[in-house]
Amino acid sequence: MTQDVEMKELQAPSNSVASASPSTFQHLKEIASLIETGAYAREVRRIVRVVRLTMALRRKLKASVLSSFLNFALAPGSDVHSRLSSYLPKEDDQDMDVDTATSATQTSTKHSLPELEIYCYLLVLIFLIDQKRYNEAKACASASIARLKNLNRRTVDVLASRLYFYYSLSYELTGDLAEIRGNLLALHRIATLRHDELGQETLLNLLLRNYLHYNLYDQAEKLRSKAPRFEAHSNQQFCRYLFYLGKIRTIQLEYTDAKESLLQAARKAPVAALGFRVQCNKWAVIVRLLLGEIPERTVFMQKGMEKALRPYFELTNAVRIGDLELFRSVAEKFSDTFNSDRTHNLIVRLRHNVIRTGLRNISISYSRISLADVAKKLRLDSANPIADAESIVSKAIRDGAIDATLDHANGWMVSKETGDIYSTNEPQTAFDTRIAFCLNLHNEAVRALRFPPNSHKEKESAEKRRERQQQEQELAKHIAEEDDDDF
Amino acid sequence: MDPKLTEVSQLFERFKAAFIRKDFNTCENFLSQLKVLLTGFRSLPPLFEDTPNAVHELTLARDIYEHAVVLSVKVEDQDAFERDFFQLKPYYTDARNRLPQSPQEYPILGLNLLRLLVQNRIAEFHTELELLSSTALENPCIKHAVELEQSFMEGAYNRVLSARQTVPHETYVYFMDLLAKTVRDEIAGCSEKAYDYLSISNARQMLLFTSDKELLNYIEEEHPEWEIKDGSVYFQKAKESAPCKEIPSLQLINQTLSYARELERIV
Repeated sequence: MTQDVEMKELQAPSNSVASASPSTFQHLKEIASLIETGAYAREVRRIVRVVRLTMALRRKLKASVLSSFLNFALAPGSDVHSRLSSYLPKEDDQDMDVDTATSATQTSTKHSLPELEIYCYLLVLIFLIDQKRYNEAKACASASIARLKNLNRRTVDVLASRLYFYYSLSYELTGDLAEIRGNLLALHRIATLRHDELGQETLLNLLLRNYLHYNLYDQAEKLRSKAPRFEAHSNQQFCRYLFYLGKIRTIQLEYTDAKESLLQAARKAPVAALGFRVQCNKWAVIVRLLLGEIPERTVFMQKGMEKALRPYFELTNAVRIGDLELFRSVAEKFSDTFNSDRTHNLIVRLRHNVIRTGLRNISISYSRISLADVAKKLRLDSANPIADAESIVSKAIRDGAIDATLDHANGWMVSKETGDIYSTNEPQTAFDTRIAFCLNLHNEAVRALRFPPNSHKEKESAEKRRERQQQEQELAKHIAEEDDDDF
Repeated sequence: MDPKLTEVSQLFERFKAAFIRKDFNTCENFLSQLKVLLTGFRSLPPLFEDTPNAVHELTLARDIYEHAVVLSVKVEDQDAFERDFFQLKPYYTDARNRLPQSPQEYPILGLNLLRLLVQNRIAEFHTELELLSSTALENPCIKHAVELEQSFMEGAYNRVLSARQTVPHETYVYFMDLLAKTVRDEIAGCSEKAYDYLSISNARQMLLFTSDKELLNYIEEEHPEWEIKDGSVYFQKAKESAPCKEIPSLQLINQTLSYARELERIV
């Protein structure tokens, strides 16, 4: 379950911006002023930027910097201030002195802003998680969530969704995810009532993650299918959603849909989110194998993934050859990996596909073969291999995996001539799916062109236009008058 | 001891007595009374309140529902089985930390897996499977159901049938018999595609009939399209109707039209 840690890093694309400038504290101050302007102007966009800038600062956060920032942003002696400060480890006061002067002058105006307060919670929480002080993180997160429940401001939503995330993360890190399920559900309900779509999106993912952590696929699917869906606000959340959806569908044997969501999740995930993409690829490989497809070699050779995907590569190889013995040894060899990936049960399902491929190879190579030989080649080890082989072959024939007939009296399998595939509809359908894919890609690209939510700007420009028109009219009047004067 | 608890325990004793006597009607009567009484306890799911007798009550309730599940198998009522099982499930999942493990847990979970298999609810089968720990998967009762599913998917039907002899628990027999019927239909469906013809005696063996007459009855009822002549069953008719080569004109027209529409949108 490493993908979360990695997913967070991708939210820090502006690393270079941060490193150039002098001190972390200065940066935090800038961020605070950004929050203020954002809060007063009710511009959610600015708050989004705040979150992004914070992620860039994350590595540099120190207890001393944080406590001076708390002094700066919150009124010393207030509830929040004392509570948050108590989470921070005590350090020497030398840079406290420097900052008290600045904070003393400014506190009077600051402490009223709830956005700033929430931001302080977020900052402390991130710091605590990075310092691996999970119990304090849990306490801090719970306190912040309690505070959030009483706040209903659109500008807080963005910060809130991040807080939800770290709230869940801190509980996951201590292994108590089940405890907060009820809370998350309540928060999701509140977010829905407040039309906080980003919050809903985040919370839905957290809930799905929560359920899947305990393998409660049934509950996860019930929640997912009933929760309101809308256009994704955050790409990261959408990727996660697709990944969870893919997992649920895989378990419920809807492989085609599962493959689609998993591949889409892997494609949409940012390049930096390596752990997440590895997970997506692992699941996608298994789903494709279960569908009877053999993933291309390039899938396993993606940069940075070769090592992680190695077990799955060998597994694919075993399925491709159709060798039960090899399959068994691979499954055994990497059973630790498969268990920790929780794909073990899926791999058990694959046995059936191994037999199918093996059988297909046999039916292509031989025009007529005795069932005893089939059993030997498939290495079916059972009490009655010939009868087993016979029924397995007959089921494969019925499912259309091989084109052959059985002769019970003589105990052999007769393969039919493999027909020319170009005389069937196969190429046409393959061509069609490719065209459909391209067209779909184009459509999605068009739809993904995003325009900044600048409704207020349009209003301004409309006003300006009116002004301009007025000026023009006046000008025209003047000219006309001047013209008149000339006469 | 709490009077309510004593009442339930006494009633449950009478239920168990009737259960051993195989007086299932009386059992069902007692059971519905017991279920009503159980609603009075606040320590049971979904409330899980920490009452002084909580452990005792939970254990008793779990015991009652376990018997209810087994009873539903005995009276061969699959719907009741599903209902009772879902009532029982929280005691295995949510109350896991409060109670010592029940010896009946794995047999009943395995029974449920088997039921899902019989009802061909494979997706739910796998969803349930994901909930089980690796130690549970090693348990013979669970393993039995898992292996059955595998053999069933592979098509190794005789392995499914021979599994009837090795049932880990007597209650499993009912579902295994149901499974045998499903397997017969599957075999019939496969043979009709895989063979050109089968001699009657072979067909009888394959479809697990004891006499030729049963086989002929079965063919008449389920597969009237099979032809019987010269002591053999011919599947030719069923086959001929299947591969009917047809130009997918309508589909092609639809596809071409959609291409045209999409292209127009781009240009």
